[in-house]
Amino acid sequence: MFAAICRIQWKASVTALALLAALGFMVPLLTVQQAGFSAGDRRGWDLIGMLSTVEATGTLFPVLAVILGLTLAVGAWSADHQGEHVYALTLPVPRWHYVLLRFGAGLLLIVPVAVAVGAGCAVALGSLDLPTGLRTYGGAVTLRFALAATVSYAATFALAAGTKRTAAAVLAGLMTLIALALILETFGVSPAVVERVMNAVFARPGPFEVLVGPWAVIGV
Amino acid sequence: MSYAIETHELQYRAGKTFELGPLNLRVPAGAIYGFLGPNGSGKTTTIRLCLGLLRAGRGGVRVLGHDVPSQAPEMFARVGYVPERPHLYPTLTVREALALHGAFHRRWDPAAAADLLDTFRLEGDTRIGRLSKGETGKLLMLLALAQRPDLLVLDEPTDGLDPVVRRDVLMALIDFVSESGATVFISSHLVHELERICDWVGVMDRGRLVAEVPMHSFKNGIKRLRVRNAPAQAGDPPFVLLARERGDGASGTEVWVVRGWQPTMRQYFEGIGAVLQDVVDLDLEEGFVELLRTARVPGGA
Repeated sequence: MFAAICRIQWKASVTALALLAALGFMVPLLTVQQAGFSAGDRRGWDLIGMLSTVEATGTLFPVLAVILGLTLAVGAWSADHQGEHVYALTLPVPRWHYVLLRFGAGLLLIVPVAVAVGAGCAVALGSLDLPTGLRTYGGAVTLRFALAATVSYAATFALAAGTKRTAAAVLAGLMTLIALALILETFGVSPAVVERVMNAVFARPGPFEVLVGPWAVIGV
Repeated sequence: MSYAIETHELQYRAGKTFELGPLNLRVPAGAIYGFLGPNGSGKTTTIRLCLGLLRAGRGGVRVLGHDVPSQAPEMFARVGYVPERPHLYPTLTVREALALHGAFHRRWDPAAAADLLDTFRLEGDTRIGRLSKGETGKLLMLLALAQRPDLLVLDEPTDGLDPVVRRDVLMALIDFVSESGATVFISSHLVHELERICDWVGVMDRGRLVAEVPMHSFKNGIKRLRVRNAPAQAGDPPFVLLARERGDGASGTEVWVVRGWQPTMRQYFEGIGAVLQDVVDLDLEEGFVELLRTARVPGGA
């Protein structure tokens, strides 16, 4: 069953996965080149500037991870949504089992893109001769990428599994929260609602903390 | 008698306009049960309720001894379902759809699937989204048959198909039933089609089950009588008078549509001073139309 679901999910997402894997491979190469670490002559190196560039291009990793999670989650459910879930509901497995199969198949498909990121890091960073005090973080960034893609996938999978009404309700809730914060700020009351929510979500131990952590492939 | 499908006071409401039930449907095990009714009468809703795809407001459903929806997965291991609208993944090829379906059904018969693929002249490498309506109908039937079900639930399986495809599909169905003895629950508004294959019939109208009888009694029980000099009051006839209409011309002839007719009932007309001129057998479609017409008269049927 799992193999069959993996096959159809692979088929639904293969083009996007190939593109994302190619981008994932390219980002570390691009980072090293943009920052100038590939230049042979170390004398002209502005290390602070170069590390800033590495940090800046590193933000492409979480963006890629979010897109990957979103693509896999939408790919997991789009065919079922088209058929109003009738096919899935008439299979001789409990609904939770089917959801687990779909979820597991999507998780598995994160692996090839994460491997491409890892390969990109290995190629880009493997032959670098860095000054003392600088280190490469290819393995850590690859692992972080896999985790970020998993978190993004899990969140969008849950949202995509619901009906349009559920998705609309979640979005409406978010919009209401932002509108409420803006209105309160207009009246001089600053409860920092949005800030608190963002902190709860993106700061440790928030579920999306993995997206905003360090993404630099080279650092001290 | 054991039943493949049994509903008890099943009720469902969709919006303010459509209400179904209370429905007490009984599909005998081993029967080919034709589920008739005009468009919008509640056939598809009833099927979806029976399979747990919709939640009933009240009442219960048992399919092959399984409570629905709580035991739906166990039930679906034994039920082949062909829905009214195609529900398969359009990006898959025919072969991939077979592999996916086979992976979930323990009784999946790859040899039967290959045979049916051949019989239906379907190309394994064609994407489902590119199949014609007839080919999609055949693929749905193939999937349902190759899983070797104890019960086939077919919701308008031949609707919109050309006569050749319709014949192919019905032939495959008949072959399967004659081999396996499975129960078939088939909904349609194509009355002639069901007349040829069904041995039980249930008729839905406006969310109600207005008849549920063996096919032979449905076909034989409804007659059209030509009666001359009938009095205004029919008295207390020994049959059910479904409809009474003035005949052509000024001959005083009327046409009566009756249910439960027996040849021995001729003497009733002598008793009321009328003359029974003719007794005409109605085919299933005419009987179906008359039944619906009567069911729609307040207090009728």
